[in-house]
Amino acid sequence: MNGSAIIFYGLGALTLVSALLAVTAKKIFRAAIFLLFTLIGVAGIYFWLNYEFIAAVQIVVYVGGIVVMIIFSIFLTQQSGEKLPSPPTRRMVSALVATILGFALAGLQIWQHHFTGDGKIVIEPSVLNIGKRMLGTGDGGYALPFEVVSMLLLAAMIGCIVIAMRSNNKTT
Amino acid sequence: MFLVDYLKDITGAIKSLLTGMRRTGYYFTHHKEIITQQYPDNRDTLKLPERFRGEVVMSHNESNEHRCTGCTACELACPNGTIKVVTKFDISPEGKKKKAVDKFIYHLELCTMCNLCIEACPTDAIRMAQSFEHSVYDRAELTKVLNKPGSKIEEGVE
Amino acid sequence: MWSLSKISGLIDHWLNGKLGSGWASVAEMVIVGLCVIGLFAILGLVLVLMERKVSAWMQIRLGPNRVGPKGLLQSLADTLKLLVKEGLTPDGADKFLFNLAPFVAMIAAMLLMAPIAFAKDFQIWDVNIGVLYITAISSISVIGILMAGWSSNNKYSLLGAMRSGAQIVSYELSAGLSILSIVVLTGSLKVSDIIAAQQNGWWIFKGHVPALIAFVIFIIAATAETNRAPFDLAEAESELTAGFHTEYSGMKFALFFLAEYVNVFIVCAIGATLFLGGWMPFHIGSWEGFNHIMDYIPSSIWFFGKTFFLIFLIMWFRWTFPRLRIDQLLNLEWKYLLPIGMVNIILVTIVAIKGWHF
Repeated sequence: MNGSAIIFYGLGALTLVSALLAVTAKKIFRAAIFLLFTLIGVAGIYFWLNYEFIAAVQIVVYVGGIVVMIIFSIFLTQQSGEKLPSPPTRRMVSALVATILGFALAGLQIWQHHFTGDGKIVIEPSVLNIGKRMLGTGDGGYALPFEVVSMLLLAAMIGCIVIAMRSNNKTT
Repeated sequence: MFLVDYLKDITGAIKSLLTGMRRTGYYFTHHKEIITQQYPDNRDTLKLPERFRGEVVMSHNESNEHRCTGCTACELACPNGTIKVVTKFDISPEGKKKKAVDKFIYHLELCTMCNLCIEACPTDAIRMAQSFEHSVYDRAELTKVLNKPGSKIEEGVE
Repeated sequence: MWSLSKISGLIDHWLNGKLGSGWASVAEMVIVGLCVIGLFAILGLVLVLMERKVSAWMQIRLGPNRVGPKGLLQSLADTLKLLVKEGLTPDGADKFLFNLAPFVAMIAAMLLMAPIAFAKDFQIWDVNIGVLYITAISSISVIGILMAGWSSNNKYSLLGAMRSGAQIVSYELSAGLSILSIVVLTGSLKVSDIIAAQQNGWWIFKGHVPALIAFVIFIIAATAETNRAPFDLAEAESELTAGFHTEYSGMKFALFFLAEYVNVFIVCAIGATLFLGGWMPFHIGSWEGFNHIMDYIPSSIWFFGKTFFLIFLIMWFRWTFPRLRIDQLLNLEWKYLLPIGMVNIILVTIVAIKGWHF
């Protein structure tokens, strides 16, 4: 086992353990923090793979954006500091069964799939390449999905503004 | 125009911020403006501002005369009973009785240095001194008699 | 001429010869970690003393002048006092998160040290997404504050944490936009490329007015992101007693305090790198003689000089301006900085495409 493998297993353990803690935590704020560590672990694996751009985006979007949003909504709700009651046994059993089934399905897929990549075809994940792909219209370009997604985000933003903006004559 | 107002806002804000920064920048570079007194070190050369109020004293001239007529205006002006004027009656050469101060009692421990007594005094007999090292071991020492023993009222002060 | 890169190269060579490449890299990591911790300690001591002196002189006071010659050992004495203080954990606090929060703040600050070029060829990790990495990691630092605020079980802490969260999340946008304008001009996210592009002049001079506007926006946003006055609502002493670190004492408080000052150093180092050329000496076009003289000043002195100039600027802000109200704070960001930043980035793009910069 070399150093690289040790780092990989460390990151994997961090991700899995904090994911497990996130779903079993009794306090909702703790669950959010463990979710954060899970996401950081995933970002760490991206760094380990030398995909720095994706790792940084993972941190910006999930850690800096979504988890902060979740924490904010936890702050704004009452009783955020109280312990949640432990779920009834029936629900726990069904959750366990669902988890095992999902795990088995994923394991089966990985087991049956023959990984053909020999690790020699390396596409350099530099920002330049990503940018060219993202805005390319030719083969392997993502210009159309990119624009569609930005339209969706624009629509969401306008929707937020409409909800937040109250007309004066109604409220006063 | 909206845009013009917007830009005016920004330039105005930057200007006012720079004005403030120029002031602090001036103080930062001009250390002679520093007003801190390093007190116990410079005790001998300490210079207090003119308006500093340390305690109430009564001024006496060389022939041990003060200007207090014993009118008790200061006693009435004092908001917390710091001053107590004990009066007596002097017999003037013409045989008339005249009110005069016997003991001007001043409780330093009650005084807030508010300056009201000095303003109330019609004859400028009392003033604020600049001494401020008032600590003593016995509280009784803080009660002072301001007119010196054997002092008389100055000639011509009514 | 001496240079730090030669020293690091020598150490690398020696370690590789002694230990073999695997253990040598481990040893180098340990050395780098120790250097970062040492730099943290020194920065904490120097910046706290600097802040106290600067604030004193701006307020016509003397400042610390008792401990050591001219008060130079004051912050060391303070650290000693904090070290021996009891680290209290309040009753009803979430103990695990309460004790974890200062370390999260600290680790985020440490990670930010990686892509900063301290001198010529002297950088911990020249990651190819350098600037994006900085933006990403700096968004982690808000988590430490939120964690501290929530786990203290104190209403002031919670309010402070929420304010600080709202503030950091919104000012990150304009900081990002102004960083982006330099990325547009350089065409690279890599820190070493950005510095190399400023060989014949710093971006603040080369980029004309748009770069200047971006610099001003960056400085304002950086001040807000580090939660310093006039944007210190998160720890407003008069309103929230101390905000998110009300309940902290002893060394845990010191870690927060240190993280704050290190963050100031880091944002100023980033500002110096992006706009003032990092370790690049001051060059004027074709004045060969002048440029040559400037080259004789070591690159690390250039870097630290620029960084400390920016730190002084931020301290100057702090001791001049009164604190903003929360609505003024959000107005400033959403109605002024962000629209200006967006227009500015279009201007920068035009400048970059037309090649109008020198």
